Amino acid sequence: MEKASIIDIKHLTKCYKNADEAAVKDLTLSVNKGDIFGLLGPNGAGKTTTISILCNQISADEGEVMIEGHDLNSESDLIKKIIGVVPQDIALYPKLTAYENLKFFGNMYGLRGKVLKERITSSVSDFGLEKKLHSKVGTFSGGMKRRINLIAGILHKPNILFLDEPTVGIDVQSKNVIIEHLQQLNASEGTTIVYTSHLMEEAERFCTHIAIIDMGKVVTVGEPSALIKAYPGCSNLEDIFLLLTGRSLRD
Amino acid sequence: MWLKFKASTIKELLLLMRDRAGLAMLFLMPMLLIFIMSLLQESTLKKLEERHTPVLIVNFDNDSLGINIVNGLRSAGFFEIHELIDGKQPSLEELKKLVNYGKYRVGIIVKEGASEALRNQIRCEIQQMFPAEEGDLFSPPPDPDKPYPEIDIYFDPITQPTFKHAVSSALNEFTYAVEAKMIMGIYAQMLNDIVGIEINRSGNFKNMINLNEQYAGNRKKIIVPNAVQHNVPAWTIFAMFFIVIPLAGNIIKERESGMSLRLRTMPGSNLAVIFGKANVYFMVGILQAVFMLLIGVFVLPMVGMPALELGSSILALLLVTISISLAASGYGILIGTISTSQEQSSIFGSISVVILAAIGGIWIPTFMMSEKMNIVSKLSPLNWGLDAYYDIFLRNADVSDILIYILPLFLFALSCILASWLYNRYKTSN
Repeated sequence: MEKASIIDIKHLTKCYKNADEAAVKDLTLSVNKGDIFGLLGPNGAGKTTTISILCNQISADEGEVMIEGHDLNSESDLIKKIIGVVPQDIALYPKLTAYENLKFFGNMYGLRGKVLKERITSSVSDFGLEKKLHSKVGTFSGGMKRRINLIAGILHKPNILFLDEPTVGIDVQSKNVIIEHLQQLNASEGTTIVYTSHLMEEAERFCTHIAIIDMGKVVTVGEPSALIKAYPGCSNLEDIFLLLTGRSLRD
Repeated sequence: MWLKFKASTIKELLLLMRDRAGLAMLFLMPMLLIFIMSLLQESTLKKLEERHTPVLIVNFDNDSLGINIVNGLRSAGFFEIHELIDGKQPSLEELKKLVNYGKYRVGIIVKEGASEALRNQIRCEIQQMFPAEEGDLFSPPPDPDKPYPEIDIYFDPITQPTFKHAVSSALNEFTYAVEAKMIMGIYAQMLNDIVGIEINRSGNFKNMINLNEQYAGNRKKIIVPNAVQHNVPAWTIFAMFFIVIPLAGNIIKERESGMSLRLRTMPGSNLAVIFGKANVYFMVGILQAVFMLLIGVFVLPMVGMPALELGSSILALLLVTISISLAASGYGILIGTISTSQEQSSIFGSISVVILAAIGGIWIPTFMMSEKMNIVSKLSPLNWGLDAYYDIFLRNADVSDILIYILPLFLFALSCILASWLYNRYKTSN
């Protein structure tokens, strides 16, 4: 049975002021409910711009985006309630403890009291950080900060979770904990995950669907295994990626 | 909205409480400034009051004119009178040298025979008032060719013209009094000679017109502006506006760390977060004001300075403090919004506050500025606040009197917030 789409992007275009070329050009894409969707591409391909538009961080010049049937332009506040965002930067307050940070973000999503406290406790425990709950985030390792950064985006149990390079610059153990937890979240809560990454191996293992974008356009989209079959001579996503985006440096 | 505002306020409060250096800057810096500037200006003002202005007088006359000048200057209370150097009367050259080197601010020489010369001139004047056929009224007759009495005054070269004028006026006053006394004495003597009635010639001729000096205002107790009454409100306002630097820096830090982008993805208006942040700095501004004013009232008197009197309208004081703190918070939000880096915001924020303070009369009171600078000073919101405090402390103003300052401060705060919001919208759409 075919899944219903939860994100519909049609003819999305964004050109930054004073830029020579559009960062995203006439991009059309659908993400199905319950997917773990990887948005892959070289530097400057338009991944972050696309995800930033979907998360309401910047506005598009043209195009239409529907998320769970709501128009991104006119119903952004409704959409903000059902999405969670985990930015690439560690967007936490280093002088606050993990608990204080998570309480602040929980409050931002309207959570409070006992419910919030329980969610913080259980999430922190799931990510193996219960002993560090009342320590300042500034004293944490990179992996621990990434995990708190992720928890801050899922405390309110969003229907759709956007992650921008969530595993960049951390050790294998932390990466595994994050990936496993995201898969568990997807399986148990049915959370749709949209994720950007440079790590092809991780994307191949983690994503149910991927789209490779380059120069602001989608160059291919589909299930990783189906794509590998569809491109003769390619044994993995990295081969497809290089085949479609070329070997020349982009920055 | 309320939960976001509350959460943002609590978060900001925690961050501020953990920033000891920032807190020290916000509270200790203005406290030190109040102490240092009040002590400096208090001593300067005392000098200007000339209570202890050293004056060297060489009285070669030793008659009524010289004696009256010495006694008059001594009783005026503004001068420290010296007549001898090392137990000896100094020469003219010594006097000029000592005044030139600044040991004495003023040197006065009452020349020998000055009183006699004055008597001679008075007699000449009286003689001329009578017809020539009356003959000589005085024996011996006065000599019209005799020179007028002279008093030489030497000033320290750094003396201000206003002070010179004040000293000259005081001397004129004493010499007029001596003149009047002598004229009356001579007339009394003449009457005595003509009608044979013994008249008391030692009558004390005082100024017969009373000048009632008062300060305009409805306060029963007159408050004289002093260093404390300028410096405490001035540096309090300066400190309140200095929150621009941590507030703007905080906004930029959130932007640089990706926090503001993250917050923008969350439901509800982002204004609640900004207002929560500004709310903490607004409260800090109020606390700063309370703290600094209490220092003026209770601590400065302990180090020998006059106590700050807060006026009679606490409501007016509160409203002015609130509006200054709001204006400072609004300005901080604007600087934080338009600056692209923390370095830029701290440089632009601090320089702009220092300039606004300088033109607003924080360092040098506006009444000491030129007319043109007085007009320029009205452009500074710090000046609006300072004028409002002056009115409350010195003119006993109430709420209706200070509305002309409060409204512009509120409008300034609103304009800054509106400009920040518009700028943010413009940046997001690009």
